[in-house]
Amino acid sequence: METLLETRDLSKLYSIGERKVKVLQSVSLIVGEGEFVVISGSSGSGKTTLLSLLSGLDRPSSGRIILDGQDITDLTEDQLAPVRNQLTGFVFQAFHLIPSLNSLENIMFPAELLGDRLAKEKAEQLLKKVGLSQRSNSFPEQLSGGEKQRVAICRALVNEPKIIFADEPTGNLDSENSEGIIELLRSIHQDQNATIVMATHNKAIAEKADRIFHLHDGRLTVER
Amino acid sequence: MTAGLQWKGERVINGKFLLRELLYSKKQAVIYILCVALSLVSLVAVNSFRSDIDRSISGDARALHGGDIILHSHYELSPGLQRAVVSLTEENRATAVRAWEFYSVARKSDESGSLLCNIKVVENGYPLYGRVDLASGREFSDVVDAGKIVVGQGVLDRLDMAVGDQLLIGSALFEIVDVILYESAKPVRFFNIGPPVLVSYKDLPVMDLVRQGSRVEYETLLKMDDANSVDSVAAWLRGRSLDGQERVETFRDAGSGIKRFFDNLLFFLSLISVCTLLLAGIGIESSLSAILRLKEKNFAIIRSFGATRAYLLHHYLLFVLILSAVGCALGVVSGLLVKGYLSVLFSGFLPQDIVFRSSVADLLEGVVVGLMVVLFFTFLPLWRINNIKPVVIFRRESSREEKTTTYYLCIVFGFSALCALLIRYLGEVSTGFYFLGGILLLLLIVNLMTRLALFSLSKIQWRRPGSRLALRSLLRPGNVTQSIVVTLSIPIALLLIIYLVENNLRGTYIDSFPADAPTLFCLDIQKNQQKAFRELAGGKITLHPVIRARLISINGKAVNRGREMKKRRDNLAREFNLTYREALLEDEILVAGKTLFRKDEKGEPVLQVSLLDTVAEMGNMTIGDILQFNIQGVKMEVEVTSIRSRTRSMLYPFFYFIFPEKYLKGAPQTYFAALHVESEEIPFLENRIVQSFPNISTVNIAETAKEMGRMMQKLSKIVNFFAAFSILAGGLIIVSSILATRFERIKETVYYKILGADSRFVLRIFFLENLLLGLLSSVFSIAVAQAAAWSLCHFFLGISYAPGWGACLWLIGLTIIFVVTLGLLGSIPIIRKKPGQFLRQLN
Repeated sequence: METLLETRDLSKLYSIGERKVKVLQSVSLIVGEGEFVVISGSSGSGKTTLLSLLSGLDRPSSGRIILDGQDITDLTEDQLAPVRNQLTGFVFQAFHLIPSLNSLENIMFPAELLGDRLAKEKAEQLLKKVGLSQRSNSFPEQLSGGEKQRVAICRALVNEPKIIFADEPTGNLDSENSEGIIELLRSIHQDQNATIVMATHNKAIAEKADRIFHLHDGRLTVER
Repeated sequence: MTAGLQWKGERVINGKFLLRELLYSKKQAVIYILCVALSLVSLVAVNSFRSDIDRSISGDARALHGGDIILHSHYELSPGLQRAVVSLTEENRATAVRAWEFYSVARKSDESGSLLCNIKVVENGYPLYGRVDLASGREFSDVVDAGKIVVGQGVLDRLDMAVGDQLLIGSALFEIVDVILYESAKPVRFFNIGPPVLVSYKDLPVMDLVRQGSRVEYETLLKMDDANSVDSVAAWLRGRSLDGQERVETFRDAGSGIKRFFDNLLFFLSLISVCTLLLAGIGIESSLSAILRLKEKNFAIIRSFGATRAYLLHHYLLFVLILSAVGCALGVVSGLLVKGYLSVLFSGFLPQDIVFRSSVADLLEGVVVGLMVVLFFTFLPLWRINNIKPVVIFRRESSREEKTTTYYLCIVFGFSALCALLIRYLGEVSTGFYFLGGILLLLLIVNLMTRLALFSLSKIQWRRPGSRLALRSLLRPGNVTQSIVVTLSIPIALLLIIYLVENNLRGTYIDSFPADAPTLFCLDIQKNQQKAFRELAGGKITLHPVIRARLISINGKAVNRGREMKKRRDNLAREFNLTYREALLEDEILVAGKTLFRKDEKGEPVLQVSLLDTVAEMGNMTIGDILQFNIQGVKMEVEVTSIRSRTRSMLYPFFYFIFPEKYLKGAPQTYFAALHVESEEIPFLENRIVQSFPNISTVNIAETAKEMGRMMQKLSKIVNFFAAFSILAGGLIIVSSILATRFERIKETVYYKILGADSRFVLRIFFLENLLLGLLSSVFSIAVAQAAAWSLCHFFLGISYAPGWGACLWLIGLTIIFVVTLGLLGSIPIIRKKPGQFLRQLN
């Protein structure tokens, strides 16, 4: 299995007023291609911070991040843009759908940025796959939590990224919807051999992963 | 319970809470303060400036009019009135001075140059009040005497003469003995045409310019021995005057051309100020709404702690009052600074002795009107506070305000009070009413156009994601797209209307002066001079008979002189020039009636009149109406039998009233000729005419038109200056809108970046959004301006209309640059936001 994502001694410090808080300390991690990895940990343990660093949404205070053989640690915002667009997909706990776009347009958007002429067809297929074809013209405010998250997953998948980051994707959902979302992510992993790095504090969900890491007080340990 | 907040008890206002709220919303608060200040700037400046002008021009009304009682006529005073004046002077109850004022051509003694001058012949003792300042510093009464005149500097400059030179006026030769620096009866001279010449009454017969039918303003000024008797003596004299021919006025009620000019101009500026006030009001509403929308969740949280609606309302009312007070203070100070600049802007129009000072009453009036607007426009956002419930914490959407009967009653009452106050401020009920109605209609139309345009744009399937997102941004909740478009469109339309009207006037009268249009008007040609005049002027000349008369009644209803004189346009109370002829002029067509005149059974025309459509509209006159005229003392009743319209510009001669020849041929009359002479020939012809016929006045039309153009340019500069304040209101709303939607904008920008968009893409979205805003605003303003300017040119000025598309394209470009620059400058901090940083804050 080839390495897709690697971190070396990753640390992150936040300044809160005059206080410095060390959220992550010397995190080193390797994720292979096609793996389904879960980062578990309690609320406030630094899961979201770690995922945002891994996906290039934020910068570490120290350490390196190598994604698909490319060191993305020092890339500028504009250099990170194609990484975010083609290499990674992100599914957020709070969905973060663009409120002014409908479901179909939200999904199409990353493909359109890429200049993909088949953006619409791809988005329609994805919507169909997650059973939301009839909601393609609905705007985010008209969707339920489960529907929003399915649209968000479709959006993360539309450019067929090498790795998908999912930050507590079921955190805002009821159990029925949570199960549906996890099944969806698992099927994506199995059918498309997609690499998934998911943060969750839900042990039942974590059990479905290939490997589990545990984050506690900013330190990462291998649980399984 | 939190130490600072007291929900119950004696402390109603929590200072710390208020301060925190003020500091937290400082950017929006600054926009709000600027909107309040902007609403007051032009109002305070115009109001205060108007008071200065009033004080300067009519403050010493005796000096302006030259007497306690002023008798005006276009003829020698009637014997009855003359006797009354003589009896007053003989009884030592009054001192009287006569003055004759007219325009005539003055020539250099060697006939090398001539100039149309405003000649005023005065008796000893002039002026009874006020002063005439001469360059030498000597007393006016010591200088002007038989054969000795004083002239305005313009006479010397334009004829290349100096004090001591000789000047021919009519048949008399004068020595120029001094230069007039200031005359209190004419504190301002707007036109360079017709510089003043003051002549002693002893030379009146020698000049031989005042003849039958000559256009002379006969004035008798009275200085009363007993100041308390002014009104009673004026009433007594009025009883002895000829109604409709002689006017008896006191210094208190006499009209003045200068005052009328400033009244009209300042009234127009007041209209623009009210327009700015209302547009800034939209800005006030918009910026306060933005402040409160951002705090909606906070309000809900505070309410969930147990705070009452009244608690929030009281604090925010105080919040608004504090900001409004700061805005008012800033507005007043800026208004006074702007007023200071007005003296520069109005240079050449202002009386020399004008004193700029700021009275508390003027400032207060402006502030009260401004505060009423603030109260009205802050009512709507503040009302929403009443409806914020704690449950909003759990919802993502904004709370909707409950519109109760009280709400609507407050709106109706507030709106009525605001309208009443603005109409009172404008000082004219009907104009104020129409103006406010017009502004509201305009707001409604532009609003509807914006809605329609946005709706249509939203229906288009935009292929490019950038365009789609830009449009969606415009439709974003909280984005005040409509307010921005409305507040930008209206002032830009106003600027364009002024430009287009000025340009069309200039195009008609100056730039494209018709090749065959008359360039020289000759007035007061006497009956016995007709043949000789024709020979002198050469060519085929039409001499139009002119009979001066007043309209007394329409269908038995007397013309209301008081009301007519107050009209800002032409009025029916003035003296008209009647003429007679049996056929239409070549540029006339009949719009009502089959023939110019109806004939009786014997084929003779009955006693009747043909009206020009413009005068018919002025008095709502139509065919069959009976008009009564006073033709130099003879009353004549005539029936309207036709209405004419003109097909050419007003440069060609026209007459409001035309009679059949049979009925006016015997009336005292002069003749008028409109000649087409090449411009370089005009001075020579003028010289020849005046040499041969000193009583004939000539007016160089082409030069007058140029002078008018110069004045129009200056006036439009003044108006544009004030209209620019309204555009600033639009700019403030753009910034306010960006601040109000800052969170949504950052959120979306972060989302775009997460999904792989680079800064250029985000910048493109903001650029397109502002481009659309600028495009909508400019296109709507052009639509409104074209409609308004065409209507003004077509219906009001009666001139042909050129739409000036080149200027419109410039305007589109400039508006887009203005909006895009402002929009992008406001968005730069948003574009710079990093996704990780924002998401962390969000979580």
